This record gives sequence, C-alpha cells and structure tokens, in this order.
Amino acid sequence: MKYQILEHKADLKIRAFGKNQEEVFSNLLYGMIEAMRPELKEPEESSIKTIEVKSFDLPALLVDFLSEALYQIQADKEVFKDIQFDKITETELKAKVIAKKVQGFGEEVKAVTHHDLEIIKDNSTWRATVLFDI
Amino acid sequence: MITKRDFNKRSDWIWEIPKSFRQDMRVSARAYVSEKMLEDSFKDRSLEQLVNITTLPGIQRYALAMPDMHEGYSSPIGGVAAINITDGIISPGMAGYDINCGMKLLKSEYLEKDVRPYLDKLATEIQKEVPSGLGKGRQIKINIEQIDGILKGGAKRLVEQGYGEKEDLDNCEANGCLDWADISVVSNNAKNRGRDQVGTLGSGNHFLEIQKVAEVFDDEVAQAFGLFKDQVVIMIHTGSRGLGHQVCTDYLKIMIPLMTKYGIQVPDREFACVPFNSLEGQRYFKAMASAANYAWANRQMIAHFVRKAWKAVLGENSSSLKALYDVAHNIIKKEKYFINGKEMELAVHRKGATRAFPPDHLEIPEKYRLVGQPVLIPGSMGTCSYVLAGTKKGEESFYSTCHGAGRTMSRHEAIRRISGQDTIKALESKGIIVKCQSFRGIAEEAPLAYKDIDSVIEVVHNAGLSKKVAKLVPIGVIKGE
Repeated sequence: MKYQILEHKADLKIRAFGKNQEEVFSNLLYGMIEAMRPELKEPEESSIKTIEVKSFDLPALLVDFLSEALYQIQADKEVFKDIQFDKITETELKAKVIAKKVQGFGEEVKAVTHHDLEIIKDNSTWRATVLFDI
Repeated sequence: MITKRDFNKRSDWIWEIPKSFRQDMRVSARAYVSEKMLEDSFKDRSLEQLVNITTLPGIQRYALAMPDMHEGYSSPIGGVAAINITDGIISPGMAGYDINCGMKLLKSEYLEKDVRPYLDKLATEIQKEVPSGLGKGRQIKINIEQIDGILKGGAKRLVEQGYGEKEDLDNCEANGCLDWADISVVSNNAKNRGRDQVGTLGSGNHFLEIQKVAEVFDDEVAQAFGLFKDQVVIMIHTGSRGLGHQVCTDYLKIMIPLMTKYGIQVPDREFACVPFNSLEGQRYFKAMASAANYAWANRQMIAHFVRKAWKAVLGENSSSLKALYDVAHNIIKKEKYFINGKEMELAVHRKGATRAFPPDHLEIPEKYRLVGQPVLIPGSMGTCSYVLAGTKKGEESFYSTCHGAGRTMSRHEAIRRISGQDTIKALESKGIIVKCQSFRGIAEEAPLAYKDIDSVIEVVHNAGLSKKVAKLVPIGVIKGE
C-alpha cells in the first residue's frame, strides 16, 4: 500500500508508506492530490516543474514540501506526477515533477498542518502521517 | 485522559479544569457547555486541546471553549485565548488557516411569500454569479497591484470601486478594513493564490443561504437590527480563501525555528508563536490584517454579485439588499480589558468564536450602540441560523461567543452514512431549494453531521455571553459552481 486516507472528524488525515524518504514523501504528495479530486483538462497539457525546499528539521521538511506543492497546484491549477528527487536530506530537497493542467478540484485542501505529524523509520520501512486542513 | 472528575462545575453552563490539573498550565481552562455537551466532548480531543491553550505565554484569566467546540489542530475549533501584548505571544495557529472566516448578512424588505415564486430562479442565478472558486464558474484573475489594493483597503477599496455602498462599510466589523495591514509582509505566493478568488465561496462548510426570519425573540433589538418575522435575508459564510491559508502556512514556517531563540515551548507545533511585540510577531500581525482585509473584500464582492442576481430576478425596481452586519470568527484583535483591576491591552485570539461587543461599545456602529453588536451564527446547512446581540456580561469571555453548530461526524462517516440525494429530498420536503455541484458536498455537510445548533445557542444565551434576537431558517441553500 502506498497511502491510505484515515478518519478524522473535521479534517483530512493521510498515512503514507515507502521504503525510503523519497518514497514516503512522494506517496504523501500523491495521496494529497487524490484527496483534492482533480478534474484533468482535455486535451492534456503538461510541463516540468521544480520543487525546492529548505527546512528546520525532518517533520518541518515534510510539511514544507507538501505546502510548496499545494501552493503550486492551486496557484497554477495543475497536478503532479512522476516526481524525481535530485537531492533529499533531512532538511533540504530538490525535485522535478511532471505537471498536468486541471479544470478544477472537487475538494479544497486549505493547508498542510504540523499537528499530530508522524514520521517514522522502522528498519527498511518509512511511515508518515499528516493532517490537512480542509 | 481528561474525565468529568477533572472539572469543577461553576454553573449549569460553565465547567472548569483548574490550573493544577497539568504542570504546564498557566491559567485554568473553561468550557461553556451543558452537562450533556460536556459528556459528548470526551468523544474527541477538544478538551485536551483546550488545556493546551492554557500553556501559551501571556494568557489571561482562562483559556475558553465555546459550546460548538470540536477537535482542531492546536486549539480546538471554538477556542479563545486572550494574551497580554506586553509579555505574551502571538500564534498564527490560534487564528487558524482561514483568516477572517466570517459571516455577512444581507436583509431585504420582502416577505417569504413575495419571494417564493421567484425562489428557484433566484437560487440558480446566485449560484451562477457566486462561484466556489475551485474550478468552474466565473474566473477573473486580477493582478498583484489590484491584490495589494485589496490587502491594504479591504472592503473599503471595493466600495470605492463601485462594488457596494458606504452603508456596507458602516455595518461591518472594523468598517471592513484593518488599518495596520501591510502588503510588504505578505508573500508573493499568498498574493498569487488570491488572484482568482475574490468573490468566491470556497468549499467545505462555506455556503450561501436565502433564509427567512422564522422567529423573533427580542422585538426591541430586532427592530434596531431591521429584522421582522417572515422577512427574507441572505447569509454569506466564507473567508480569505487561499491567500489567508498561505499567510498562515508562511508564518508557521518562519516561527517554528524561532521558538528556541525566544525560549518558548508549546505542546503542539501548530501553536508555534513568538512574542507579540517581536519583529516577527508584528510582521505576522500585519500580514494577518492584510488577509482579514482580503476576506472582507471577498464577502463584499459576493454581496455585490448576490445583489446583481437579486435585481436580475426580482426586477430592477425591487428594493435593494442592505447589509445588517459582517463579523469574523477566526481572527486576532487588540482589545482592552480590566485584569485584576488594571486595564490591559490583550491580543484576543478567536478561533471559531465570534466577537460580541456589548451596548455602548465604541467599536460597533452607532445605530446598534443601544442594543449591542449583531452576532451572526450559521447553523449547519439546511437547519437554522441565529442573529444574537452582544451583552455586558460577555466581558467574562472577552466578548466572545460561539460561531456555529460544530461537527460531530467526520466527512468520511457522513458520506458513508448519509446519501446526498436523500439529504436534498429531506430538505426539499421542508420547502428548501438546494443548488449544489456535488451530492458528496451535500452529504458531507448534512445536518446529521453537526451538533444541534439550538442547544449551542441555548448555552451562550443562558450563560449571558450574547442574547437571542432572531432565528433564521433557510429557504434556499447554494454551494457555488
């Protein structure tokens, strides 16, 4: 399983898995995009975009990464796929994504929160849980 | 784990957890709830989150939770923290991502029976004119200069441009513009997110309703507010949209690493805060004011398009819609209170709580001075809403009252348990027209997923935080295209 959308009374909680940091970050991104219920534009229009983030620590990096993606997704009305990391550490990352234009979204994700954030590395598995304000 | 035994009952409506409950508490925690509501509150973590508020440096008297509280991130939704500005903090998370989410109420001179024949057409026209902003509907992208004008001038700016009348500003909290807004502390990302969202509703619990005055509880105050039985009014519930969300996101990123520098510890990172009077604290306070101005402009623009739809359907000669009031429920404001006999300036953080100033307060419109500030409380979609008035007794809660019904069921659970079609049918059988893009959106916001608004209002009325003036019931529910 790449990610699952969990129960939360008023907001949206997503848990993602991966064999490394890249994978768990990517899967959370894809989970967030699915939750926004995008409606793709026909015919397809795509381009390559860059996401670059520097943060205070690993949990903040995860939130800032998703926040930066959310900003680009909403401001430019597009969704991301095929993310490739050029660099990733505990406090910094640089990645390229394929951005596809959308007509709109079915759900509005307002923000990525730090509340109850969980990022755990257990042997060769990473697991992260993030709460989104919707 | 918090249990009922940890509470002291102060009255039928006030329950308190003493400061001694947890070592990091600076003040006690007070919940305005009935006994039954208190018992229900143990089902989520809102009370634990209320206790977390009491740890904020500079907090005065007690941390407060309103009867519509539910679990949030950092503070519960329905939380209030009044913080001394000289030695206390400012916390973006304590106002939330949707800065100046709030209510605007427009009143007509018509009775329900006058509007009923046009109702379907009116709801359709309003839906067309007021998009959700998530994709479909009108899409106008304004430039950064225009955004700057709105951040600086709020609703005032739009009225100057012809999107409303001076009276709209008189009947709006802060006249629709906080003068300490500063465009240089709002990021380009935030401004960009706001470019195509002026005049849009958003999703979730944001809505627009055509309502009628179903009951008047206080004739004198209702008269001062210009409300009468069976009158048709229009309620708007939305905020600062993506721009406000981005301002909060940006300043959390700035504040989290600064906590060590200022030696501040909080139980949840979402409470990240800095001293109110620090450079960063002041920058956030100005950015928040800019986003609040954007929200007032957003509600003003929506009012403009509602009026356009109204005229298009009821005729050019129909009497116009007048603003009753416009008030925020997610915001931080500087207000003066007497603490231990000494006047103190406090940064009142309201997260899902409505300001309710009493009669004679200088910050409310002159025509309401004798009766108190109008307080606009939306119920859940399709149930009922209330107009209340601020009271002198509200001083004990820093002139704050509830903001809505409060969720009891997750969106997931609502979708699983409730069908959108059935909800629409049930509403239609009560004579309510529903215009919405998705059945899912209807199911998520179905009345069953919320606390009963009547019991929330009973608590704030009986506790004296604000008093009942009129009950409004919907005749048309619109969620934007």
